[in-house]
Amino acid sequence: MIQQLFLNGIIAGSIYTLIALGFTIIYRTVKFFHFAHGVVFAAGAYFAYTFFILFNINPFISFLLSISLASLLGIAIDRFVYYPLRKNKAPNLVYLIASFGVFIFIQNLLQLIFGAQILTLRTGPIKEGYHIFGAVVTDIQILIILVSFILFLLTYLFIQKSKLGKAIRAVSDDPIGARIVGINSEKIILIAFALGSAIAGLAGILISLETNIEPTMGFHAILKGITASIIGGIGSIPGALLGGFFLGLAENLSIWKIQARWKDAIAFAILIIFLLLKPSGIMGIKTKKEEI
Amino acid sequence: MDYLIHILIITGIYTILTLSLNLIVGFTGLPALGHIAFACIGAYTSSLLALNFGISPWIGLFIGAILAGFFGMVIGFPSLRLKGDYFALATFGLGIIVYSIVKNWVSLTRGPMGLPGIPHFSLFGYEISSGWSYLILVLTFVLLTYLAIRNITNSPFGRILKGIREDEIATLAMGKNVNKYKLIVFVVGAFFAGIAGSLYAHYITFIDPSSFTVMESFTVLLMVVFGGMGSLKGSFVGVLILVVFPELLRFLGMPNSIAAPLRQMIYGLLLIILMIWRPQGLLGKFKFK
Amino acid sequence: MTILQVQNLVKEFDGIKAVDDISFEIEKNSICALLGPNGSGKTTVFNLISGYLKPERGKIFFNGKEITLLSPHKIAKLGIGRTFQNIRLFLQISVLDNVMLGFKYEKGDKFFSALFQTKRMKKEEKENLFKAEEILKFVGLIDKKYELAENLSHGQRKLLELARILAREPKLFLLDEPFAGLFPETKKTMVDLIRKLKEGGKTILFIEHDINSVMGLAEKVIVLNYGKKIAEGKPEEVRNNKEVLNVYLGKKYEQNP
Repeated sequence: MIQQLFLNGIIAGSIYTLIALGFTIIYRTVKFFHFAHGVVFAAGAYFAYTFFILFNINPFISFLLSISLASLLGIAIDRFVYYPLRKNKAPNLVYLIASFGVFIFIQNLLQLIFGAQILTLRTGPIKEGYHIFGAVVTDIQILIILVSFILFLLTYLFIQKSKLGKAIRAVSDDPIGARIVGINSEKIILIAFALGSAIAGLAGILISLETNIEPTMGFHAILKGITASIIGGIGSIPGALLGGFFLGLAENLSIWKIQARWKDAIAFAILIIFLLLKPSGIMGIKTKKEEI
Repeated sequence: MDYLIHILIITGIYTILTLSLNLIVGFTGLPALGHIAFACIGAYTSSLLALNFGISPWIGLFIGAILAGFFGMVIGFPSLRLKGDYFALATFGLGIIVYSIVKNWVSLTRGPMGLPGIPHFSLFGYEISSGWSYLILVLTFVLLTYLAIRNITNSPFGRILKGIREDEIATLAMGKNVNKYKLIVFVVGAFFAGIAGSLYAHYITFIDPSSFTVMESFTVLLMVVFGGMGSLKGSFVGVLILVVFPELLRFLGMPNSIAAPLRQMIYGLLLIILMIWRPQGLLGKFKFK
Repeated sequence: MTILQVQNLVKEFDGIKAVDDISFEIEKNSICALLGPNGSGKTTVFNLISGYLKPERGKIFFNGKEITLLSPHKIAKLGIGRTFQNIRLFLQISVLDNVMLGFKYEKGDKFFSALFQTKRMKKEEKENLFKAEEILKFVGLIDKKYELAENLSHGQRKLLELARILAREPKLFLLDEPFAGLFPETKKTMVDLIRKLKEGGKTILFIEHDINSVMGLAEKVIVLNYGKKIAEGKPEEVRNNKEVLNVYLGKKYEQNP
């Protein structure tokens, strides 16, 4: 029993890590909570549904198209909503509220188009899983876990080693200094949104292979994503991994003692505890303090 | 005509919610999300007291408001130490926790099945169930809420709230205990939200967790921001427009499966447009810092 | 009589000592200046005294009472009034309201006084309005009383910040760069105001960069560099102090005095 819970925790943790990963890349460059990230996650799933189920397009092409569209959606949100706010030099809170607006708009647009019912990407019966160490794990679940680890490694290496990655870190740590050395911060932000949103779309598709597609899926996703980011340390890539798995495991293992329906409340209780006691997260990322 | 009165009653209830949130967000500058949780507490307290113990809705409303205010203190006390978007996130999360508790503590609240058969208010043996009588009841509370918040904000105390909104550090240098003022305002806002919740419960006579979701919190926030931050008149105007306008959609013969998400889409779009072009709202004078 | 005593203050940020074992005393009813180049720790000292920061080590005494760990609003209530380097006005409210926020109310600013619009509230409000206008006349801003603070010029903003703490009637004024960015006429107004405050029995400690600005105004100067106190004394004496000169003019001075 507990092995299954542990496994479920790993699977959940993988998804949360993916969401937190994309969210973190974006956060590094814009420094506010891009809440609408959740709806890009959902859109990825709905795009996949449209191409694969509705139009019967080859799964691989559907997959690529969906991720590209998710990426474009993220870029569009930045261009149409956040960019004007950057020009206005808006305070952080205004970005957050605008982001809520985007979220509400797109989530309901998805509901308008696809309806409120539950959809699925699965076409055939659910394949039986493998029995490992007393727990059952399916193909797709293994895929999810693998993808999240691989993507984490790729993202980490990208941020640490590549030229673009260094540029992202420069813009993140010192926007003015970055501009002085000639880094175009708008371009960097665009890349961050493209990359982060693509990962969100990917996560959305993966989760729809495992569970179902419904309009509010983005909401739960982003809340877990933000919680995972804060637990791990906001803006930290390793933090996204640590936070994601910490949350996934804590949520699922707690079911051992507490009924399953309290999972959400437990996740948010963990968020609150970290916000109050350790806002810098596991990795200890210090937030900028107001100068007096 | 009945329909019009129904709309006005709903407008009245939202007005109380918006005025109470305006005190916290618009006047004091605290980005409190999750405000609907207090209405939820007021509604459920009042209903459960009436259903389980036969307690009069008048008393239930009062106790519900007090309990909501108490939870305002419980939620506010730890959250108010946090700044800006972290505070927003904390109140947001706590609002969801309240919703989650109400939804899952089935033995107390019947969870998703909700509470049916909530009794109406009655006065001298006459039941205030709907129509004109309920409208007058709601408008009375709207007036009381308006007068209370007007008095609070139009005073030295209110000036300190504005100081906190403008610059907390400077307000501290003026010898004011900023945390104390923030907490008071949070509790008072929660109290009035609790009243709104009870008024809703004893009108519709059925409540379930789905009336108190995060989306409702956003709707009330939108009403505050749209009508005008720190403008009480703006709250009246904002609520009226935002409640009446989507109702017109229904008049166009749209089925609810289209009208409901469309209404939310308009709300979402409005939030975006406001933040980009007029963050202080229609009649408001103050912008977020 | 000593009004302010700072003993062995140490403040660290990320391992760097912004304030490194600083001690000094300020005499009551004196005008003193805290000098030093950018980053020498002057504003940090102000933040420590006024309670916005807590020191790693050291103590602060005000009128004999230890205030080291008190919160900013309590220290303000004890009678220390400060201005801020970046000017912290309540921008989206009126000049008059900015000053009104300084006043102490007996009961008038309590929640229930507001809710019930009590007579006491109205009475205190009226009295304070009168006092506020007097203060605005004193600093020369009375014509702008209904103007939003954000519409004031830089010099007017500095005067308003001073007016606001005048409302508090503090015993010790901590002014952070009161002359920064001021035109000569406004600067003179500010200097006159500070002198008038001293005549009224107040004590003023202000931060400045330029030692020449404080000549003729400050009775004592304390010079900081890299968080350490490097000189203390009358302006004329300190001006010729070798170490102070090094700090301001660089090693060149030693070679070509």
